[in-house]
Amino acid sequence: MNKVTIKQLIEKIEGEAELDFTFNKGKIEDVNINFGFYRGIEEILRGKDARDALVITPRVCGICNHAHLLTAVRAIENGYENAGLRVNLSSKANDIREFTLACELIQNHVKWFYLTIIPQFEKYVGKQSNENYAIKATYLSSIITKALAIFAGQWPHSSYAVPGGVTCDPTHLDVMQAESLVYECIKFFEDVMIGGSMDTYLTIDSVTSLNQIEGDFGNLLHLISVNDMVKAGKTHGRFIVFGDCSIFKPGKSIITTVSNVDTSYVEEEIQPGTMAKAVTYKQKLYEVGPLARGMVAKTPIVKSLHKSYKDSMFTRIFARVHEVALLLEYSKNLLQNLKLDEPSCVLDKNVRPDEFEGTGVVEAARGSLIHKTRVKDRIITNYDIITPTQWNLSHGTKEEQGIAVQAMIGTSSIEEATFIFRTFDVCSVCTTQ
Amino acid sequence: MTGQNKPKLLWLQSITCNGNTHSFLNHPDLFSILSHFELVHHPALDTDYSMEDIIAGVVPCDVLILEGSFREVGFVKGGVEVSSLIELYAEKAKHIISAGTCATFGGIFKQKDPKSISGFCFDGEEKTKRYQIYASKLISLPGCPIHPKWLSYVLLMIAGKKDIPRDNLHRPVELYGYTVHTGCTRNEYFEWKIDTKNFGLKEGCLFYEQGCQGPYTRGSCNKILWNDTSSKTRVGTPCFGCTEPNYPGESLFSTKTNMGIPDKMPLGIPKRAYLTLTGVTKSFHIKRFSERIMEYDK
Repeated sequence: MNKVTIKQLIEKIEGEAELDFTFNKGKIEDVNINFGFYRGIEEILRGKDARDALVITPRVCGICNHAHLLTAVRAIENGYENAGLRVNLSSKANDIREFTLACELIQNHVKWFYLTIIPQFEKYVGKQSNENYAIKATYLSSIITKALAIFAGQWPHSSYAVPGGVTCDPTHLDVMQAESLVYECIKFFEDVMIGGSMDTYLTIDSVTSLNQIEGDFGNLLHLISVNDMVKAGKTHGRFIVFGDCSIFKPGKSIITTVSNVDTSYVEEEIQPGTMAKAVTYKQKLYEVGPLARGMVAKTPIVKSLHKSYKDSMFTRIFARVHEVALLLEYSKNLLQNLKLDEPSCVLDKNVRPDEFEGTGVVEAARGSLIHKTRVKDRIITNYDIITPTQWNLSHGTKEEQGIAVQAMIGTSSIEEATFIFRTFDVCSVCTTQ
Repeated sequence: MTGQNKPKLLWLQSITCNGNTHSFLNHPDLFSILSHFELVHHPALDTDYSMEDIIAGVVPCDVLILEGSFREVGFVKGGVEVSSLIELYAEKAKHIISAGTCATFGGIFKQKDPKSISGFCFDGEEKTKRYQIYASKLISLPGCPIHPKWLSYVLLMIAGKKDIPRDNLHRPVELYGYTVHTGCTRNEYFEWKIDTKNFGLKEGCLFYEQGCQGPYTRGSCNKILWNDTSSKTRVGTPCFGCTEPNYPGESLFSTKTNMGIPDKMPLGIPKRAYLTLTGVTKSFHIKRFSERIMEYDK
């Protein structure tokens, strides 16, 4: 018997996962990813007032709750439009939503980098430092969520986005406070994460200039290189993005050819042995998340890394941390150009169609998040939530292995495979809802 | 290790969204608070004991923080019922903190299966059968999610060996003796019974039309601000009553009224007193409250 299956409980991700690794002649041949408990948010929503989704859906996830709020409000607004009610969101409301979402992505990526990736990789290669990385993670995340809370009231679990806009009505005082907090984060990113100026960092566009990066990010990139792991963790080379904003473009990228997408081709399928459903686009698997966003938007440094190392864990890790810089820059610009004299909310709270169907899409930290709502007599009759982790962590289809599964196949140790698994920024609560 | 004589702190998750974990990670003094304890296990922070050690039942525990709703049968981790793990460590612990509304009363996830899902010692407002066993060491900290500063208050009180005054649902009175209405920046509008005209305005009270439950929800969200910065009502979002045993209710963005009178009165206010006062205040027209505080385009 060459085949042997080993069960492993993975923790210190968002929640926990149980992985069954099947080895054949010393190499991993298959992995079964099992997520435990189904909480039934979609069922809880049925029979509730359409707007209650703005309060209930953030509770899918403690770390990307804000993305759920914004996806839910977009689904309702899309439904209103489909029912003939025009929603002309003011640029102010739109920019405030974009800003708070960017803040949530930043806290997520930085927590993942410092709480998961650096300590686990150091452990894996046996080069543990005594540094308290957690203090760095929580320092930055508490500052950027403070900036988020200026507009949203709190983080986690705010419900400040409503059909037609936002509930807040910020003043210059608020904006100035948020700007100082963003600058504080930029300073941390420069001094601690990359050891240099952000302007210089943002000019890096090819693999050959990666050695300019210092700080904790530079150290990690170096550590992966010297351990000869830059090409580990490759998957199918297919990427998809549904969300649309000035820094993320929707589209799908197969290797480097980018084409349009339409959410109506997204399909969900129940999988045996796990509470997570698999998701495909025209029956094909795609990776979502920062790497997909970089590939579809043709971000030069991400494309350059992909050319050298394909969709390896190195490219994947780089794309996520790189997004922190892009998002900080984006946040700064959003605040600078915020038009405070515009209305915060353009719809009267009492004007709403009784019946509608709508789809909302947002780029959450881990990738595209889709909500579909169907409403009759102002009551939700059906609600579908498709989370980013369902794309990346499914077991796959009859034809091919899932995205993360494929990335782990061929490795020769559970430790290596587990680390590759973590590069997808695993979230069990989102996957099972 | 310096942690030898410190109380051993164990954070266990049950049916949860991890929101309480992330809320507390935002505490600006997180590591100073944790320095009073030996953190034996936590869902996100690096700790000496693993989830496998917890399942093996070998982890020491003086203070148990519980996150998530409770279900006796059917929620399994690593082949073991999570409920049995919780009970095992609840037995060992000197203090049990139910962190968040799920762990305290059942919360949102109770709605999936109200018969088998509840809080650890309370099911809504009712006591569960576990209540008698653990009541003497129970501290309830409802909130969806928990407010990080409320948790730090409890932890520092425990570290300082101080007694925490509690109400009949085991909530610390220093935190839950107030309502969310206390400290709300819209209080003047509440006093003069002036509702806000719409979402997205800093003027007006959200209680009369937009579903705000602040006047009858226990919690100090407007006294101890969120993220050191703000609160739901300060940014024009109604309070949804997330600390209450019956959370979440229905139609959260609109106020149930009876012949124009809010269905639920501010905490402890008799309807007659409320109506008398409303009659008087509504007979005045205060110009200042009918105008915008500032206009940027003028």
